[in-house]
Amino acid sequence: MNAEPAEPFREEVRAFIAARAPRLRHQEGVRVPQSPDEQREIRRWLRELYEAGYLGAGWPAEWGGTPDHHPLHDLVLMEELFRARAYRPLDQVMLASHAILAFGTDRQKADLLHHIRRGEHIWCQLFSEPDAGSDLASLRTRAEPKGTDFVVTGQKAWSTDAQWADMGMLLARTDPSVDRHAGLTAFAVPMHLPGIEIRPIREMTGSSEFCEVFLDEVRLGPEHVLGDLGGGWAVVTSGLASERAFVGANAVQLEMMFGDLVSLCRAARIPDGTIAIAHEDIQAQLAAALSKVEGVKLIVRDTVERILQNEEHPSDGPLAKLAYTELNVELCELALEIIASSISVDAAEAEVVTRWYENFLWSRALTISGGASEILRGLVGRQLLGLPRDS
Amino acid sequence: MGVDWRAGWPLLAGLGVAGFCVPKARGGYGFEVAAAVVASQELGGALHGSPYAGLIASVHVLAGSDVDAPAELVDGILAGERVCALGILNSAADKSGGDGITGVASLVDGAATADALLLMAPSSLDALLVAEPKAWTVDPILPTFDVSRSCGEVRLDHVPALRCSGGTSALPLYRLLLAADTLGGVERMLHRTVSYVRDRHAFGRPIGAFQAVQHRLVDHAVRTRAMSLGVAEAARMLGDGSPRAAREVALAELAVSSEATHVLHDLVQLTGAIGFTWEHGLHHYERRAHHNARLGRNPRSAARSLAGFEGWLGRRSHER
Ligand SMILES: Cc1cc2nc3c(=O)[nH]c(=O)nc-3n(C[C@H](O)[C@H](O)[C@H](O)COP(=O)(O)OP(=O)(O)OC[C@H]3O[C@@H](n4cnc5c(N)ncnc54)[C@H](O)[C@@H]3O)c2cc1C
Repeated sequence: MNAEPAEPFREEVRAFIAARAPRLRHQEGVRVPQSPDEQREIRRWLRELYEAGYLGAGWPAEWGGTPDHHPLHDLVLMEELFRARAYRPLDQVMLASHAILAFGTDRQKADLLHHIRRGEHIWCQLFSEPDAGSDLASLRTRAEPKGTDFVVTGQKAWSTDAQWADMGMLLARTDPSVDRHAGLTAFAVPMHLPGIEIRPIREMTGSSEFCEVFLDEVRLGPEHVLGDLGGGWAVVTSGLASERAFVGANAVQLEMMFGDLVSLCRAARIPDGTIAIAHEDIQAQLAAALSKVEGVKLIVRDTVERILQNEEHPSDGPLAKLAYTELNVELCELALEIIASSISVDAAEAEVVTRWYENFLWSRALTISGGASEILRGLVGRQLLGLPRDS
Repeated sequence: MGVDWRAGWPLLAGLGVAGFCVPKARGGYGFEVAAAVVASQELGGALHGSPYAGLIASVHVLAGSDVDAPAELVDGILAGERVCALGILNSAADKSGGDGITGVASLVDGAATADALLLMAPSSLDALLVAEPKAWTVDPILPTFDVSRSCGEVRLDHVPALRCSGGTSALPLYRLLLAADTLGGVERMLHRTVSYVRDRHAFGRPIGAFQAVQHRLVDHAVRTRAMSLGVAEAARMLGDGSPRAAREVALAELAVSSEATHVLHDLVQLTGAIGFTWEHGLHHYERRAHHNARLGRNPRSAARSLAGFEGWLGRRSHER
């Protein structure tokens, strides 16, 4: 991809991040603030990203977008955030913005979008349930119509950031009598409403990022319905944020991980006291990893190119996610093997070991959430290879 | 699990689990490696906090040594009242002379709470016993990863030690028990995941009915069976004093340490979000498997040993 026109912009973004990004030490994957101060800092940072026109630039101008916005700039922003290991914008917030822009009424746009731009509304997604994950359409949370209102009762699971979210995008069943997709409606739910109880769940990483959300006769009005009644499936699966080019930043992420792998091999000592990277077998493992990293970078870049040309194939996104997240797991497993095989890692690089442990545990979040790898393989099989559906 | 394991340890030791590799004359069962392997698998499956592999290998050396190891230490270990940890000194240059031993053992399981420490030099069959717990210092290994046991880096500075001979089987025994501990966890988690996918439904079927799920579990079952048979075979040979035992141990270690993490991490995947929770607990086994591999410097160490047993090392200059 020819990124040259973006170079001055890149410099600008880099300087902005260096000057303004909050200095937080977060475990890989964790975005929940650890204190009220941190929360203030994060919201301030998100607001400044919108104010500076780095986030939300692709929105229609009347809602704050930049008229001559180039989607390549979205990619540059995300790449630089990764490179600086800075706090990144939350996916759920970007997806909510997109859903509001695509499906919301003018009234909802006027009511909700400026809160996002000011860092005042963090969103979470209330889709999955204990018994409905990959098969989301089987969900059972009811939003029972009562006059023009709805009464919502049910249980949601794995809602990332729900414990500090201001708004939730809810998918609930409004009509159990019709086809299971057609009976679903999306809602924009203020998280402080009576009847909502949120319990953080501890992840295997040790952090508590996702939550159970219990809804007990939560009363919603017609103003909370997002999109059409019975049109919820379209709202939540439209899924693609306007910042689709963000996927390209995974190439930078992989580059950085490979850098960490090399650092690890330079700092790790094998039992005879020599450093790991001096050994041919380790070099061969690194070389094999490098060739895979370069391959996936090409896949990701090719995907971005097509997104920028608007020539995307429906299977491109799932394929890129599959390639990136599965290689991520593989690199983590290799890193752990190298750590285990060593007698020690130089103290100066202890941070690298910490990062590998966190990355290893977190790598499964990426292959399970946002479409588990098995589901994505099915999609790519059907959409790219034209294979028949499993009966 | 974890810190308080010593409270219940005398009870378990009372069942005999500490004495499988202690001569009958010293109050044990002889050299019942297969029994020790089974115990280690069970302790691994239970995420038990004891440094069992090191304890069994060290009491084996202490009780079998021709030097008189303190009898009350051996008796105490058999009764579950005393604990001896095993460490491998980082380099052979670590000296033990008239002025005691000076050196570092980077990874010693249970070092912080042990009553005694048996140190093996990497390339000698001699072992050094340090029976005075305050004689060594322990730094925790950071970052901590395995949360079911505690491990530390041991430093010794001119510490008096008793030289014990007869440690030929100690390291293979230690390494085999580490592999067995991991294996016990993998077997238990595989079993658990298989029952989970039988119950969990998506798209109107148990997820275990999807071939994408089924085939992977079958692959893991095949791998696990190979690991399990390999560990059992190595235990038999070691117990019989076969000259091929060390090679068989390296094979078992290599199979377990190079596969376990991958299998366990895939079980998380096949379980979905619930598998990603702390409570579900799959991660404890991942952490522990990694730690066992780390204690043995595996898979690389086992691969190197195997290359040695097969006669592949140092051939290059020959061939030219
Ligand atoms: C870190 C994390 C954050 C999350 N955040 C959110 C959030 O903010 N909001 C939200 O609503 N949800 C969230 N989720 C939930 C996520 O969307 C679900 O975990 C995901 O959809 C998978 O569902 P499940 O966990 O119920 O697994 P299941 O659907 O039970 O799947 C278990 C296993 O079976 C496989 N499987 C299922 N069906 C098939 C099939 N047809 N063919 C082959 N294999 C199949 C799966 O791939 C998986 O390996 C999050 C999950 C994680 C791990």
